[in-house]
Amino acid sequence: MKVSLNWLRRYVSIPEDPEVLAHDLTMFGLNVEEVLPLSPAFEGIVFGRVIDVVKHPKADKLVLCTVDTGEEEPLGIVCGASNVRPGIGVPVAVHGAVLPGGFKIKRTKIRGEASEGMICSEKELAIGEDSDGIMVLDFEEKPGADLTSRLGNDDVILDIEVTPNRPDQLSHFGIAREIAALYKRPLEINDLFGLDENDPFDLSIEDCEDCPRYSAAFIDNVKVAPSPPWMQKLLKAVGVKPINNIVDVTNFVLMELGQPLHAFDRDMLENDSIVVRRAKEDEMLVTLDGEKRELDKEILVIADAEHPVALAGIMGGEETEVTENTSRVLLESAMFEPRLIRRARQRLKLETEASYRFEREGDVGITKLALERTCRLLEEMGAGNPGPSCRDLVADAKRLEKRTVTLRASQANRLMGTHLSASDLASLLERLGMASVASDEQIDVEIPTFRRDISQEVDLIEETARLYGYEMIGHDTSASIHVFTARSERDIRNNKICNYLASRGFAEVVTTSFMDPGDPERLGLEQGDRRSGALKIENPLSASNSVLRTSLIPGALNVVRRNLASESEGLRIFELGKVFIPEKNNKGLPDEELHLLAVLAGNSRPMQWLEQARMFDFFDMKGELDGLLQRFGVDPGALEVLSAGTAVDGFIFEWLSDGQPVAEGGKISKKVASRYEIDDDIFYFDISIEALERTVVRSRYNDVSPYPVVKRDLCLIAGEKVTFADITNLFKKRAKFLESISLFDYYRGGRLGEGERSYTFRLSFRSPKGTLDDDIVDAEIEKVLEGLKRDLKVTLRSE
Amino acid sequence: MAEEDLDRQAIEDLVESASRAIAGSENLDSLEAERIRYLGRKGELTKSLRSIKSLPAEKRPAVGNAINQAKERLEALIEERKTSLSASFVEEEPYPGDFTLPGRSGFSGGRHILHSVMGEIKEIFAGMGYSIAEGSDVELDYYNFEALNFPPDHPSRDLQDTFYINKDILLRTHTSPVQVRYMEKHKPPVRIIVPGKVYRNESPDPSHSAEFLQMEGLYVDENVSLADLRNDVTYFIRSFFGQDASVRFRPHFFPFTEPSAEVDMSCFSCRGEGCQICQKTGWIEIMGAGMVHPNVFRYAGYDPDAYTGFAFGMGIDRIAMLKYGIDDIRRFLTNDLRFLSQFWSEREMGE
Repeated sequence: MKVSLNWLRRYVSIPEDPEVLAHDLTMFGLNVEEVLPLSPAFEGIVFGRVIDVVKHPKADKLVLCTVDTGEEEPLGIVCGASNVRPGIGVPVAVHGAVLPGGFKIKRTKIRGEASEGMICSEKELAIGEDSDGIMVLDFEEKPGADLTSRLGNDDVILDIEVTPNRPDQLSHFGIAREIAALYKRPLEINDLFGLDENDPFDLSIEDCEDCPRYSAAFIDNVKVAPSPPWMQKLLKAVGVKPINNIVDVTNFVLMELGQPLHAFDRDMLENDSIVVRRAKEDEMLVTLDGEKRELDKEILVIADAEHPVALAGIMGGEETEVTENTSRVLLESAMFEPRLIRRARQRLKLETEASYRFEREGDVGITKLALERTCRLLEEMGAGNPGPSCRDLVADAKRLEKRTVTLRASQANRLMGTHLSASDLASLLERLGMASVASDEQIDVEIPTFRRDISQEVDLIEETARLYGYEMIGHDTSASIHVFTARSERDIRNNKICNYLASRGFAEVVTTSFMDPGDPERLGLEQGDRRSGALKIENPLSASNSVLRTSLIPGALNVVRRNLASESEGLRIFELGKVFIPEKNNKGLPDEELHLLAVLAGNSRPMQWLEQARMFDFFDMKGELDGLLQRFGVDPGALEVLSAGTAVDGFIFEWLSDGQPVAEGGKISKKVASRYEIDDDIFYFDISIEALERTVVRSRYNDVSPYPVVKRDLCLIAGEKVTFADITNLFKKRAKFLESISLFDYYRGGRLGEGERSYTFRLSFRSPKGTLDDDIVDAEIEKVLEGLKRDLKVTLRSE
Repeated sequence: MAEEDLDRQAIEDLVESASRAIAGSENLDSLEAERIRYLGRKGELTKSLRSIKSLPAEKRPAVGNAINQAKERLEALIEERKTSLSASFVEEEPYPGDFTLPGRSGFSGGRHILHSVMGEIKEIFAGMGYSIAEGSDVELDYYNFEALNFPPDHPSRDLQDTFYINKDILLRTHTSPVQVRYMEKHKPPVRIIVPGKVYRNESPDPSHSAEFLQMEGLYVDENVSLADLRNDVTYFIRSFFGQDASVRFRPHFFPFTEPSAEVDMSCFSCRGEGCQICQKTGWIEIMGAGMVHPNVFRYAGYDPDAYTGFAFGMGIDRIAMLKYGIDDIRRFLTNDLRFLSQFWSEREMGE
């Protein structure tokens, strides 16, 4: 809301310094976003009288002017405007003058002729849009008189953020009312024109819900002309273009009181009647902006006996517009149902000053008063003869009743943390013009009709807090007892996991929750995969961001591409984030699953002098996954690992616990990677945090045995079908006292047979109860070796 | 097992441990040491060869053969290792000759700036006794708007541009729906913070993003007041931005709190003098706050006469931008490691 300080001064005295007012209003809840002095920065502009005009000898479009600027010798000025002629008064920028924007005027020569200054247009002085010709001054001054204060507008504009609950602040009078309350200053009341209420005009309202009140005034002998300069100046200051006295006065009252008005050419109304009704299907209206609007029964219109003449609360129709030929005017001042106006505005995509206010619910009590104010102004301006009577139809009288809201001092103090008495509170509210009856504890407050936002006790508490000053609250003691609750276990653990990965050299990323609808297909997900159907956004920002992600992989691949393209030769990234799996049963809300995705791409180590470069491989990924699982409290060896498919040269494995998938991981196929424009090999694992949480078992720590370890190295040869896990599981299951088993060599080929593999294990045995004899250990190993030979055909290399 | 087999086993074991030692030697010096240890004049394999003399004559050829084979294998391994070590860039020296050469390192990693800021903020509130509650990103219109006292078809809904899945389901525009959901399930006292991602249907530009992180706070008990809100919020701001920060509350409007306030803190850059960061006002808007509106209590099933409470909410992206002087919110979701890695160290950063 743009507010002119000169306009405000009509109703209330304000601080000299606009910055002080802006600060005080901001702290009072009217956030001033900008303080804008209107007067543009120019200097050295003086009154000049044109004495003579002759053609420029070398240029057809230029003239040489002789201008009296009060100096001993008149100035010679070259000018290109066609409207310059002898005798007129003009603004002259003399040598040394500065135009808005900092442009400095100097003596110069134009096509060989001396030019000792510049005759300015409105646009050059930034006081108007007119750049067609020079500005012809419509007032007299002594030549040479400084024009800074005559031409500049000394007004200052405040841009105030008005919140949707306070439509009463959408006017100068409304802001003045707040200023009066803020500084405890009196408020000037406007001159009004008394209107009787008994005009027999044919007015009807179809539904009192749609339109609780409609007031109409009648002006005869209308003389359409420009509005007075003072009014034009104020309107221009707040960005409203002056048109004619009738239109301007309705805009003026809109900006003054916040009540939208509309002027109809009364003679254009069929049957001299008005009905407020819903539009019929297929009805049409050409609005003031020249657009042909298709209407329907959700749209409220003002109609005459035949057809709609205005969109109620939004815009008038072209047919009944006030023109130069208008002689009788009907002035409308009404109140409409906010929701109807909002829906019509959205449907027609037509927002106006009027619709903006009606949507926020206007003041039902002000409609007639606004007409009386308008009639007074029209009469003063000589724009016509307002009728002594008006038609004021109150369809819903209940709306005019003043509400009473009770405020308990105890509750106010409890909520604010203050110690104010009931009478303290009552006197605070009085500053806002709210009459009240106070007892020891309780205040009954009468709410004015323009404060629709105040309907319950807490609304009044907010007003008292604002008037008392938020800054006064909370510096003494606090009334409450703090409760302390524990931080969630899940949050702590997730944070630790992320910190662990970060210290393992993974960069955490945060990617968009949206993905491209083509991503599941790009990833090669099958039709039946639960990640293949994603939730669509009805109103997305772009097609490539139009569904919610069902996997963290597309986002990560985009990050990989971007970073490999920039400079990294390899990278490790992870993201902990939600994926959204569509779900029919939960009111249409999706399953939001928390996933952890880690991705390794390119070189496994940064290039450095000590070692040779190597690309990441499957076992780098698996090592990180195992380490992470262990951190979580899950034994990676206890999970079942299944191949979950291969694609071209990619492969995917699934880690399961009790048959339920916990993680998947593998290599992204070249085909998929190329769809994301990546050439490097990419390995990833993707853990479902919820599934993992179900897998974690709480376990007690094991005491550390004081007895020595017995170590044995074994070299085993296994056939193609036997896995590392098969062998180690057998050891873990069968070998007593086995503390750990680790692999320290593995190879194929060489002297081995076709398909054979050689594993070298180191086994550690230890007993919590005593030193182990070699015999016992050898016997345990022998036991397992027999089993290996029998069940898996695994033999010792030396055999 | 025959004695002969035992001897063979012993030789095999010797070869195993020698192979490991050879493979594990990190430079030519240590490789040579291993060669001497096993194959040298007094080496272990050489000793075995000498001990053949003590064997019965008929066994000598077989064992001798095995030892010679073992020797050949090991010599081959040593040659191979020698080649591979010579191929290394630089031969290591026992004493680091040029100790200005860079140390060995792997990739460095770190938390995303948004999450480290969020983590720091959580820590502060955890210390004040707040626990963490979370909600879903996809939310019912009812919880995002209606139960927070945004009536249907009301202009207050224009305050937040919304992504819709359909007319009842949307992407939450703030973390506040968790207030009502949490109160529905828990009795007072309630003292929670709610971190999470929120969505606004706004075209991205340097100061707007369609998705960003928010954190909400809610405290409900029998006598919670605006004074308590000031205390908690001031404590947080001073913990996060520094003890000398001033805090001011400005009346404002939010449908779900009343009285409502915008919370400003004194500009940490110019100390209130007025600069680019605070747009010459000396103050920076940091969060919205207020006392929980009685209508919200009614929706959640709390008696508004029995309980009072406060709520506050802040944008984590905005706070991170302010603290580190980041001028474009879109950097957070771009995930350029050259940007992210600057926030991994503990050094003080900012304007």
